[in-house]
Amino acid sequence: MSRHRIPGMGRVDPAAPVNFTFDGRTYQGLRGDTVASALLANGVHLMGRSFKYHRPRGAVTAGSEEPNALIGTSRGPGRFEPNTRATVQELRANLTTESQNKWPRLSFDIGALNDRAYMLFSAGFYYKTFMWPRSFWDKVYEPFIRAAAGLGKSPTETDPDNYAHRNLHTDVLVVGGGAAGIAAALTAAKSGARVMLVDENPELGGSLLSDPSVRIEGRGSWAWLAEQLSQLRAAGVRLMTRTTAIGYYHQNFVGLVERVTDHLDQPPHGAPRERMWHVRAGQVILAQGALEKPLVFDGNDRPGVMLAGAAQTYLNRYGVKVGDNAAVVTSHDSAYYAAFDLVDAGARVAVIADTRTSVRSDLLDAARKRGIQVLTGHTATGTEGRLRVKSVRVNPVRHGQVGAGRKIACDALLICGGWTPSLHLFSHTKGSLAWDADSRTFLPNHKTEACQIAGAGRGLWGYGPVLADGVKAGIAAAKALGRDAAGSDARVEGDRPGTGTSQTELPTDRSPSKAKAFVDYQNDVTAKDIRLAVREGMRSIEHVKRYTTNGMATDQGKMSNINGLMIAADALGKEPPQVGLTTFRPPYTPTSFGAFAGYHKGATFEITRKTPIDPWAEAQGAVFEPVSLWRRAWYFPQGAEDMHQAVARECRATRASVGMFDASTLGKIEVTGPDAVEFMNRMYTNPWTKLQPGRCRYGLLLGEDGFIRDDGVIGRLSPDLFHVTTTTGGAARVMNMMEDYLQTEWPDLDVWLTSTTEQWATVALNGPNARKVLEKLVEGLDLSDVNFPHMSVAECTVAGLPARLFRISFTGELGFEVNVPARHGMQLWQAIHEAGQQYDICPYGTETMHVLRAEKGYIIVGQDTDGTVTPQDAGLDWAIGKAKKDFVGKRSLQRPDIVAPNRKQLVGLLTENGTRLEEGAQIVLDPNQSLPMTMAGHVTSSYDSVALGRPIAMAVITGGHAMMGRTVHIPMPEGTVQATITSTNFYDPDGERLKA
Amino acid sequence: MTTQRHDFDSAPFLIEELPWHPRFSLRVRPGNRAALAAALSLDLPTAIGQRATAAGAEVFCLGPDEWTILVDNAAPLVAASRNAYGQIPHSLVEISDREITLRISGAQALTALTTGCPRDIEAMPVGQGARTLYDSATVTLWRDDRQDFRMDVWRSFLPHVRAILDQVMVELRSGL
Amino acid sequence: MLLIHCPYCDATLPESEFAYAGEAHINRPADPSTLTDEEWRDYLFIRTNARGPHFERWRHVHGCARFFNAVRDTVSDRFLMTYKAGEARPDLTAVKEAAE
Repeated sequence: MSRHRIPGMGRVDPAAPVNFTFDGRTYQGLRGDTVASALLANGVHLMGRSFKYHRPRGAVTAGSEEPNALIGTSRGPGRFEPNTRATVQELRANLTTESQNKWPRLSFDIGALNDRAYMLFSAGFYYKTFMWPRSFWDKVYEPFIRAAAGLGKSPTETDPDNYAHRNLHTDVLVVGGGAAGIAAALTAAKSGARVMLVDENPELGGSLLSDPSVRIEGRGSWAWLAEQLSQLRAAGVRLMTRTTAIGYYHQNFVGLVERVTDHLDQPPHGAPRERMWHVRAGQVILAQGALEKPLVFDGNDRPGVMLAGAAQTYLNRYGVKVGDNAAVVTSHDSAYYAAFDLVDAGARVAVIADTRTSVRSDLLDAARKRGIQVLTGHTATGTEGRLRVKSVRVNPVRHGQVGAGRKIACDALLICGGWTPSLHLFSHTKGSLAWDADSRTFLPNHKTEACQIAGAGRGLWGYGPVLADGVKAGIAAAKALGRDAAGSDARVEGDRPGTGTSQTELPTDRSPSKAKAFVDYQNDVTAKDIRLAVREGMRSIEHVKRYTTNGMATDQGKMSNINGLMIAADALGKEPPQVGLTTFRPPYTPTSFGAFAGYHKGATFEITRKTPIDPWAEAQGAVFEPVSLWRRAWYFPQGAEDMHQAVARECRATRASVGMFDASTLGKIEVTGPDAVEFMNRMYTNPWTKLQPGRCRYGLLLGEDGFIRDDGVIGRLSPDLFHVTTTTGGAARVMNMMEDYLQTEWPDLDVWLTSTTEQWATVALNGPNARKVLEKLVEGLDLSDVNFPHMSVAECTVAGLPARLFRISFTGELGFEVNVPARHGMQLWQAIHEAGQQYDICPYGTETMHVLRAEKGYIIVGQDTDGTVTPQDAGLDWAIGKAKKDFVGKRSLQRPDIVAPNRKQLVGLLTENGTRLEEGAQIVLDPNQSLPMTMAGHVTSSYDSVALGRPIAMAVITGGHAMMGRTVHIPMPEGTVQATITSTNFYDPDGERLKA
Repeated sequence: MTTQRHDFDSAPFLIEELPWHPRFSLRVRPGNRAALAAALSLDLPTAIGQRATAAGAEVFCLGPDEWTILVDNAAPLVAASRNAYGQIPHSLVEISDREITLRISGAQALTALTTGCPRDIEAMPVGQGARTLYDSATVTLWRDDRQDFRMDVWRSFLPHVRAILDQVMVELRSGL
Repeated sequence: MLLIHCPYCDATLPESEFAYAGEAHINRPADPSTLTDEEWRDYLFIRTNARGPHFERWRHVHGCARFFNAVRDTVSDRFLMTYKAGEARPDLTAVKEAAE
């Protein structure tokens, strides 16, 4: 065992050594260690280089607020993570870690030259330095800033781990498993409430784990803790460790991230790495404790300088002595206990320098008893030691005058600038804070949520008061939930009460402009930077923060915000609350993207809807395209065909003989009831009253603003029953719109809507031989043109399946659409495919469908329309029931902007040189006009047409309907293309083929 | 009921796709509910989430004027609806193929559902249900017993829902 | 993530089951053809931009599927009350008092 580890101390397992590497060197730690405690046990303090000045740094804390000891960790390919806090990462077998922000190596780093040039890097230096010349902006400065920005290396491989998600409802959520949280949880649980207690650490207990000498209810604090935990379990409290409450949202909605496997040597198969919990609680109890602040003085960042509380934690929780000869500089009583514990464990403490002039006599006595020299009314003015602190310089302060300094040798310097209640989650709820002038700190004030705050999180100190406060919070939470609760105060012996004060940077006898007195370790912000920002005109703390970047690093200023505020307030000559406090935002600690994504990665990244015929298409090697949430067969390549060849073949086959198409994704709505026809008249532009049962009609749906929203063929099956179809992407939207009108505008109508999109599988058959194929399969219906003309609908049997059969066409060919109950969709498809073999039936995909419809000038809503196209613009005036008094959008068709000339209108385009235009390409009338040109419109659809032997396009062009035959210009990177405006009906303009 | 379904030794929960069963969506104005219920010989509960059973039929109130009906034999229901329509306007639409029903049961069935359902499923009384969300798909959840649920999922959403539940299965099997 | 009381389900449920549906109490004119262009424009486009209580429509889209009305405070985001579609606009003073 290393000489830094004290046998018999700590909660690590001395019988379980764990090997790991740091910067390529193998070290041994113990089960229960963090990377930081294991490195410290090996005498390693230097763990990283700072962000801006590349100064050598070591762990300054023992927890999640750590700003310095950020490392890269790896568990194999794809499992590299940058910026892991060494103070949080638990040791596991074969963990590989590396330091960051150094080159060529941690102990000798070229970037540390920045430290010598620190005058250049003062507050706002980015704004001042990268101003001129302008030509340097993107060639020199941006690459430099980008190279310098950021901490750590981004992973380059896909994360192979799984992440999980859980929703949980509970009566009481307690955040923080220290003394207050445990007391609160147990009290609330005894009332019968459902309670959960979460803590970010691997173990519950909070500071009790670092204070084993305290006795509660006659037992040592660790024995008491173990007993409390078994009581919590017995009471059914859900205990979650390694679980961080990252955000506190409206109405007691709290996000938790549980780290499930990062501490395991061998995670079991399928275990998620992390799990995001969405918790909804009746009452939230915040028992997050307080965070220790550093003191701000020259050289307060050297490896070996750490918070006194951290040193106490390393000693008591991990059995690690952070130094043999420590010195302490403090402004709070708590550091004395750290010093006492160190001495009691066999270390030497050279001095306690206290900034305060008067200190509790029992502390002075206890220090004297241990041979510790206490210097009250002192300041620290510097440290020495390149890669590890070697000495601290302390000076007396009398009447504001800094006296002569003296150097005190030490190998660890423990600092404590008081404690800040951890109010991050409380601040997420916009709970207000109140400045407590006595303790010079912010305390929680007005609450916006149903929550209680207990313990050190509201400024209390010492286990007695904190435990009592936890009980009180538990009772309050239970009572708020209408439950009876009670509890009594615990008897605490050897308690460690404390008070302290907050500081600006400590006074010095040296030039303050040369002092490197760090406020924000992670962003390398010094006290001088903050004062400079104030001198340069920053008045609000929000401006100071952004100008200096104080508190803007990944630790979100957990250690630096209050010190920064003290200094800014001092520089402004104001009280801190007048300068304000910056806003805390979620997440509380850095959170992986995986935890947010949960199950939504890879194949389940988002919903992929599939039709009943999808497996056939997949087996045939179809290429798919996403259409809203659906995946649809795009084309069916044969052999070595590319898309162009496959689509050309599918188009040719359909127009020459017969093609089949999976149209199951079309939205379908059953509109039924005595007022069905009235409802249809009000919703759609078309007239429906005279449509006979057994007939269909193209329906056009507008928004109230007069713009096209959707379209589709609608069949009337009986006087009170319409089978409405919508576009694939519009199905849910149209249903929502119809329900909206029905529920809120026309609740008097006796009509009901049922979505049947997924009740039916739909196969479209198109081509001159469509009838011949279908006839073989249809029973109970005469398919002849006389008896079942274009735009007919009937119920019949197809391939032995109950069917709704439409005679409609979206290709200009003789066409049918067969709907059968979805579970029979595949059977229908196969039956048609087989029956069509005689006619070389060709399955086609959405691309061919698009080409064939474009040849006929049939619009696709959302492609040829964009939410600003009226029926007139699209050339669909004929679909408007002009005799109807009203329908959705009718009034808007008379609005001045809608009837104005020169609206963009849908036209056909034929290029003069046979180029295929690009969809989205802009159109101009004069290619020689000066820049920027006046855009006359854009191409909406463009395809190679086999039937026409040339490319065709549709476009919206200003005043296009009156410009038939005119030449327009489409400037493209390869040169300007000329095209002629035409009708959109390119193929079989008289519609003879439909009537076959 | 077979004993096989309750063999949970190897699985934290069990996902079964239930066979096709006739299913209807029924809509009627609240004022006509009682009369229609009588005409169809069904109990149509009025509270959303309530269920009722009759001989060969299960009824689930989804909305103030909306019920899902499962029947063993569709023809009599369709005939009764047709007869009543003239007097009591309503809508009865077959949706047997629209949804596919999963049965999710076993020791951790409730936990499995909390991976995707934002509401408090634990508090849902046995014998009731809700139309709600699983992941981003609308589903109808039937709680048949403490750890025994049915979930109706629109057919095209099923592959996604199943894929996530399969991941959840692996996750729960890991014991962490 | 808010909690929303659905007046039809009579249950307080997570926001993810619901969808916002615009401002409430904007009734479609009985006969739009009688409206001036300005009146029709106002119906289509002119909306309150309230700081504080706002009358809104929501739909319990992944639940009972009903549209309903709500009063929600745009500053705190909280729902002050919800009520069924077709019910009269509630008195704001009373709503605010009840919410406090």
